[in-house]
Amino acid sequence: MGKVTGFIELQRIKEAAEPIARRVTHYREFIVTLADDEASRQGARCMDCGIPFCQTGCPINNIIPDWNDLTYRRQWRAALDVLHSTNNFPEFTGRICPAPCEAACTLNINNDPVGIKSIEHFLIDKGWEEGWVVPLPPAVKTGKRVAVVGSGPAGMACAQQLARAGHAVVLFEREDRIGGLLRYGIPDFKMEKHLIDRRMAQMSEEGVEFRPNMNVGVDVSARSLLDQFDAVALTGGAEAPRDLPVPGRDLAGVHFAMEFLPQQNKVVAGDEVANQIKAKGKHVVVIGGGDTGSDCVGTSNRQEAASVTQFELLPQPPEEENKPLVWPYWPIKLRTSSSHEEGVARDWAVATKRFEGRDGRVEKLVAARVEWQKDAGGAMKMVEIPGSEFEMSADLVLLAMGFTGPGSPHMLEEFGIERDARTNVKANTDDYRTSVPKVFAAGDMRRGQSLVVWAIREGRQCARAIDEFLMGTSALPR
Amino acid sequence: MEAALASLAAHAEDAIHQNFNIVILSDRSVSEALLPIPALVATAAVHEHLVKKGLRTSVGLVVETGSAREVHHFALLAGYGAEAIHPYLALETLAELHKQIPEIDPKQSQKRYIKAICKGLYKVMSKMGISTYQSYCGAQIFEAVGLQKAFVEKYFTGTASNIEGIGLFEVAEEAERLHALAFSDDPLLRNALDAGGEYAYRVRGEEHMWTPDSIAKLQHAARANSWSTYREYAALINEHGKKLKTLRGLFEFKTGERTPIPIDDVEPAKEVVKRFATGAMSLGSISTEAHTTLAVAMNRIGGKSNTGEGGEDALRYRAEMRAGKSTVKNGDTLASMIGHDRVEADVPLKAGDSLRSKIKQVASARFGVTAEYLSSADQLQIKMAQGAKPGEGGQLPGHKVSGYIATLRYSVPGVGLISPPPHHDIYSIEDLAQLIHDLKNANPRASISVKLVSEVGVGTVAAGVAKAKADHVTIAGHDGGTGASPESSIKHAGTPWELGLAETQQTLVHNRLRGRIAVQVDGQMKTGRDVVIGAMLGADEFGFATAPLVVEGCIMMRKCHLNTCPVGIATQDPELRKRFAGSPEHVVNYFFFVAEEVRELMARLGFHTFSEMIGRSDLLDMRKSIEHWKARGLDFSRVFFQPKMPPEVARHQCEEQDHGLARALDHQLIAAAAKAIETREPVRLEYRIRNAHRSVGAMLSGAIARKLGHEGLPPDTIHATFDGIAGQSFGAFLARGITFELQGATNDYVGKGLSGGRIVVYPDPTCPAKPEENIVIGNTVMYGAIEGEAYFRGVAGERFCVRNSGAFAVVEGTGDHGCEYMTGGTVVVLGRTGRNFAAGMSGGIAYVYDPDQTFASRCNLSMVALETLLPEDEQTRVETELAASGKGRNLHLDRCDEPLARSLIEKHLRYTGSTLALTLLDNWENERAKFVKVFPHEYKRALSEMFAKRAAARVTEAAKARQVA
Repeated sequence: MGKVTGFIELQRIKEAAEPIARRVTHYREFIVTLADDEASRQGARCMDCGIPFCQTGCPINNIIPDWNDLTYRRQWRAALDVLHSTNNFPEFTGRICPAPCEAACTLNINNDPVGIKSIEHFLIDKGWEEGWVVPLPPAVKTGKRVAVVGSGPAGMACAQQLARAGHAVVLFEREDRIGGLLRYGIPDFKMEKHLIDRRMAQMSEEGVEFRPNMNVGVDVSARSLLDQFDAVALTGGAEAPRDLPVPGRDLAGVHFAMEFLPQQNKVVAGDEVANQIKAKGKHVVVIGGGDTGSDCVGTSNRQEAASVTQFELLPQPPEEENKPLVWPYWPIKLRTSSSHEEGVARDWAVATKRFEGRDGRVEKLVAARVEWQKDAGGAMKMVEIPGSEFEMSADLVLLAMGFTGPGSPHMLEEFGIERDARTNVKANTDDYRTSVPKVFAAGDMRRGQSLVVWAIREGRQCARAIDEFLMGTSALPR
Repeated sequence: MEAALASLAAHAEDAIHQNFNIVILSDRSVSEALLPIPALVATAAVHEHLVKKGLRTSVGLVVETGSAREVHHFALLAGYGAEAIHPYLALETLAELHKQIPEIDPKQSQKRYIKAICKGLYKVMSKMGISTYQSYCGAQIFEAVGLQKAFVEKYFTGTASNIEGIGLFEVAEEAERLHALAFSDDPLLRNALDAGGEYAYRVRGEEHMWTPDSIAKLQHAARANSWSTYREYAALINEHGKKLKTLRGLFEFKTGERTPIPIDDVEPAKEVVKRFATGAMSLGSISTEAHTTLAVAMNRIGGKSNTGEGGEDALRYRAEMRAGKSTVKNGDTLASMIGHDRVEADVPLKAGDSLRSKIKQVASARFGVTAEYLSSADQLQIKMAQGAKPGEGGQLPGHKVSGYIATLRYSVPGVGLISPPPHHDIYSIEDLAQLIHDLKNANPRASISVKLVSEVGVGTVAAGVAKAKADHVTIAGHDGGTGASPESSIKHAGTPWELGLAETQQTLVHNRLRGRIAVQVDGQMKTGRDVVIGAMLGADEFGFATAPLVVEGCIMMRKCHLNTCPVGIATQDPELRKRFAGSPEHVVNYFFFVAEEVRELMARLGFHTFSEMIGRSDLLDMRKSIEHWKARGLDFSRVFFQPKMPPEVARHQCEEQDHGLARALDHQLIAAAAKAIETREPVRLEYRIRNAHRSVGAMLSGAIARKLGHEGLPPDTIHATFDGIAGQSFGAFLARGITFELQGATNDYVGKGLSGGRIVVYPDPTCPAKPEENIVIGNTVMYGAIEGEAYFRGVAGERFCVRNSGAFAVVEGTGDHGCEYMTGGTVVVLGRTGRNFAAGMSGGIAYVYDPDQTFASRCNLSMVALETLLPEDEQTRVETELAASGKGRNLHLDRCDEPLARSLIEKHLRYTGSTLALTLLDNWENERAKFVKVFPHEYKRALSEMFAKRAAARVTEAAKARQVA
């Protein structure tokens, strides 16, 4: 276990970051991973709890105390092995996971939690640097073929696990590159895309075949997948964006976040994008206070917007949660991302009422302040505060209000798959089976929009379920 | 496998006939194709076979196995016949680990491992009272839980197994599964073993009752007073139970048998909670904040908190005892009541609160067991054993013994406190009866409880306890108190309370004893369902320990032994104690939730009152659908059995014990001393005494302590002279201000728990025997003495001054084991001692007269040094030099040895008229040099540290004073 008294003697170390003025001039990552000594000192803070709440806080149940201890003892490679035993892609989560493990860390009760994410980041970067991350091709091929449709984190994890179990896996992707939201949703400054390419190379050698530009249900029929493969995993994500049906919505300059963000990623990747939506010189208003909204803020600042404003419908959360009643669960509290630090005016409890503009282009936004009240049944209800209406100039409006469900209607209709009440593909988390024989579903397409780490979990578990379905038993870990 | 075992046994037999004299059972040839027979069943099968053939003694049995790695594995192999064990895989693994931890060389790590296993075995053997490996080997002192009777009879002949369970088929199946895993290409097992999760929770490892979710839900429920969150918690726990984690999880209620009633007709929750107590967790093991919060909460609900074995701060009860009611006002806090310097995280109180633990524990070490402590209790609990670590005493590591904790325990800061496994005044059930009588005398208002551990045979012990006049018995289950247990005890010692409780109820009812004794059960009580099952199996009352601690903020760090509890509970570190965030309200909320859950079940089962439900094991059934392949063979009919007794025989407590206090001599003493206690005017009393007068002085001392506290009366205010042969426990817990002078002799336990009084015993002058050559007092004299003085003209029996922590005593000779486990006080022995003197002695001093220089051979030198008793001027010089060189001085009680010893001998002469003392004093210059000073190493270190600390403090003070000037 770390150092017995480490948590009393040593402090949490925040990963260093390039200064704001410099980092907003480029799209590269700007977080500096820990040095060896820093990582060891951070690992020393772990108390090796009798009940490690972090492990349950983590959706993929990373065996955090074990690799913290190994990190403290500077056994980097052994630590990385333990980390990899539960997580296919620590380089993704070590960068972009909101770290529910740290919220659940017992040090978080009355102190600063162990910098678990920074250790994860450190270990995997070290692993790649040292050449410890190598392909793990299966010793025996099973001869079974599995199609994985959708190449986001759920699909990648599912494909990798299945390949390692000896199945021939084909990973289908509608877009021109593999990675789903990792590739085109998350900006490069939060996660550089060569990390995905590097993993793809590993997966290729393990037996995964990548087929980008293949829209199942359009380019290739669902039926043909069922004919050609022994099992199909649907890992397509929840891409249908929530819209804001107010007057002026159809004005030019009002876009979904997911129209805006992928274009910039393509440009960074060297593609030419015709008529790129750009924030340069514009007054940008981002509607929606979540992670995607934050990515819009960071990207707008890098595109040299004249101003960036972010609205959220819900009231401003408290700076500190009521820990005695919340810990170890994920707290609702004010979160300020690195993109927020780079410059944004944030406002809460604001409802956008209409967009106004000239010549079909948006110029301003009219909004009102709202109050949240409990109704008779105890449910929260939004009430507009009379006379609170205000205007704001807006040349570019980005809608980042979340996603409502899967965005592949053709494919799902062709499969004839049953959906749940929220339009997600219906399947449980024991066997991940859909209503259609030999078709499985995992990730956002099944659970609704969520974190990358949840996608990895479902991808892994779905792989195990498919392996069991194909082989009768499975040695893949859940 | 059955055939393989038979042929193995036959092989062994053949070997003996071929004159081999060592048989080695080995599983080294395990391979993908060869499945090893589990080493334990193989060993036991061969051992039993050879025993039955009468050949066992002609051969040595050696087991070479890869499966033995934990202490318990070795203990089992030894217990079923292995004379030698070679854990080759463990040793090879250690050698392999060397590659990862280069600083330890492989030989060294193997040596350490073997040493650790041996120490573990010592511990196990000592717990069972077995001194040699030879006696332990084949002794089969185990109880099986969950093994088929026929299977046990065949391979583990004679071992108790009461609920049936798996047989050889399942053992083989399990072996096959493990073997398959070992040779599979499971990616998780590629270069690491399974995470396990036995001793620390792991998501993919062993299932636990306390999980992140169950802890979080319980804490949130209690803090927010949310019944719905409690329901989620209870559902998790009760559901977990069904995952084969507890025996009660395999039970279900027969709800169809009785008509349900509306919940409003069920006994109110405020009555149900009175049956709840908190478990014994000592002040020392947990912080004063955590300890007091539990007491306040239990007092608010009318339940009881248990002080544990570490004593209690008298400021928590003194004012209340004197006023006869709570003295807490609104606005008071823990700190305002016991002092700001004693509290790191304050706890607000309400008017009428009480900080007093109603249950005061009396354990083997007798820490802080003074007359005042005893008199402050509503219940006195004799801890015979602890569920989590039966056979062991409390163990407080030195770094948790702060100044405050040391004060409460009358010991030295920084010196670890290991309670001895046995009570030195209990070697038989009669001795236990005597201790019960002593305690009842010291505090007649308190009920006397005896804490036992669930194991096979506990029913018989409980019946004995009831006959020994205990008012209350606690049956502790195996899975409590894990924080303070050695790892080998966490998993493998004690049995589930369901078994011990059922046996206790059956035996007590069968012997018509149940009515006069209350039965409490404890061991991981968590929910109302647990309580109802406990009641049906026969419990009146319920002890909860871990759950209320979780409510206070415990997150099961399992670091209680390291003093690093990050939530300020199991620590004495002031910085960490500041983090304590528990509150009595939360604990109160929790207990009411449990009571509500109990009431819901009572309504469903149709019980109006709790008492009706006690012993109704006929309403329990084994769950119909138990899916697990290993649970199919279980049979709980012995647990659910009800003795066929007429209806008038009590099934729950409904009568009082007759303690025979009316006959106590103390009634006369108290009456005669009433005025002296009131006015402090000295009084002289005289009595004839007979050996039927037991525990004389205990009741008087209790009465004084209750009124005046430990300070008592001025010296010699009550002087009672007795003539005759005193019964047992003469002068037990004798309080300050009382002198007992006895002309005659006494039985055992004179001055037990002496609390400041003076005892003088000398033989009848008409007796022709030479006093210094004859026994004048019995065994176990001054056991657990705290303070006071005693002079015995004559020789003491065995175990003189064991666990003395502050009293002075002069005696003219002792039996074996004198001054064992002593932590303080001063003992002068003017004659020959028995063997094993000063074993485990960590404090105090003994001066032993040793004219023929043979004492060293009778002294246990493992913890003490023998020094000469220096003349005063010489010692002064030596000590001054020491102090000058900055090393600190080693003066016991800040006095030189010579004047201290001499003054005690002078008093001995004055009080007893000892001719031996007279001769020694007359010839002092010569005789002084014949005294040996017995000086514990730990004590010497602590004295010099304390001196250095004081000196440093003086220097800082002086510097401060100069600055101010």
